[in-house]
Amino acid sequence: MVIRIAAVGDVHLDEDVVGRFRPALEELPDCADVLLLAGDLTRHGTEAEARCVAQEFGNLGVPVITVLGNHDHQCDQVPQVVKVLEDVGITVLEGTGIVLDCAGGRLGVAGVKGFGGGFAGRCASDFGEPEMKAFVRTTRESADALAAALLGLDCDRLVALTHYSPVPDTLAGEPLEIYPFLGCYQLGQAIDSAPTALALHGHAHHGSERGTTPGGVRVRNVAHPVIKQAYSIFHLGDQPD
Amino acid sequence: MTGPYGDAPPDEYLEAEIQSMLAEDPSVAEQGITVVRRERGLVIYGEVESPHRREEILRRVAERFPDVPVTSDIGVIRTQAPSQVEELP
Repeated sequence: MVIRIAAVGDVHLDEDVVGRFRPALEELPDCADVLLLAGDLTRHGTEAEARCVAQEFGNLGVPVITVLGNHDHQCDQVPQVVKVLEDVGITVLEGTGIVLDCAGGRLGVAGVKGFGGGFAGRCASDFGEPEMKAFVRTTRESADALAAALLGLDCDRLVALTHYSPVPDTLAGEPLEIYPFLGCYQLGQAIDSAPTALALHGHAHHGSERGTTPGGVRVRNVAHPVIKQAYSIFHLGDQPD
Repeated sequence: MTGPYGDAPPDEYLEAEIQSMLAEDPSVAEQGITVVRRERGLVIYGEVESPHRREEILRRVAERFPDVPVTSDIGVIRTQAPSQVEELP
């Protein structure tokens, strides 16, 4: 049996984009069990932009699950943004998870926005100025929340959904110097701490599609500028024995 | 050529200033646009979600840096349904 997952991130909606995704989204009930959104739904994180997201991605005929991205935090209106999305039935994850009953089995999705920090051997440390310590603690807390959410789900197949990247592989194409602002190894560690089948993220517009965690979990960067289509579809097969 | 940057080719500080403006200017707010210095000016490339956003980027750059020659290669990201599925056994 197969679980069909559609996914896209970084759609950055505002009034000028409403309607562009909809024709492709109308096909979702025929080809996917769920749509996962990997954050940066809006340009500035305003309630008005969230209404555009609700209009475009609400009432699709399949469950829609999202995490927020850094753009969705820009105007400090996160509670209002979340409410607008939840009012149209979109599930917003932040250190939380959900299990869906699909024809191909029970799909568990755990999500966090995540944060930067960098990758093993080339990353920020919890040391020095308060600002630096706060930065790295934000990274760690986010990864810990993802690990707890992943481990708390009882399901057949497990998917991790983040905005920031858990691996450097899917950043290939971005300048090396900005990797620490695009993801962190702690998210990968969290993903590897659970029986995760697939990890999806966005944020890296110039990155590449495919990678794996050190533990062998498949990672896909589904940022819209990377996939260059309305969404990608993944068929998750049965768990290997 | 006149203006704050005179006849000199665009330098690193100008590149940084434009890059910051693209991210921080509320009418642009784009982090995925790249600014590259060439001998004869700047090339701005990347992809955005609508033609309006592309025009807005070029309008803001021209308004703030009127004497900098700019070449644009900004695309609008396609939104068609996928034609293929990735099988993950």
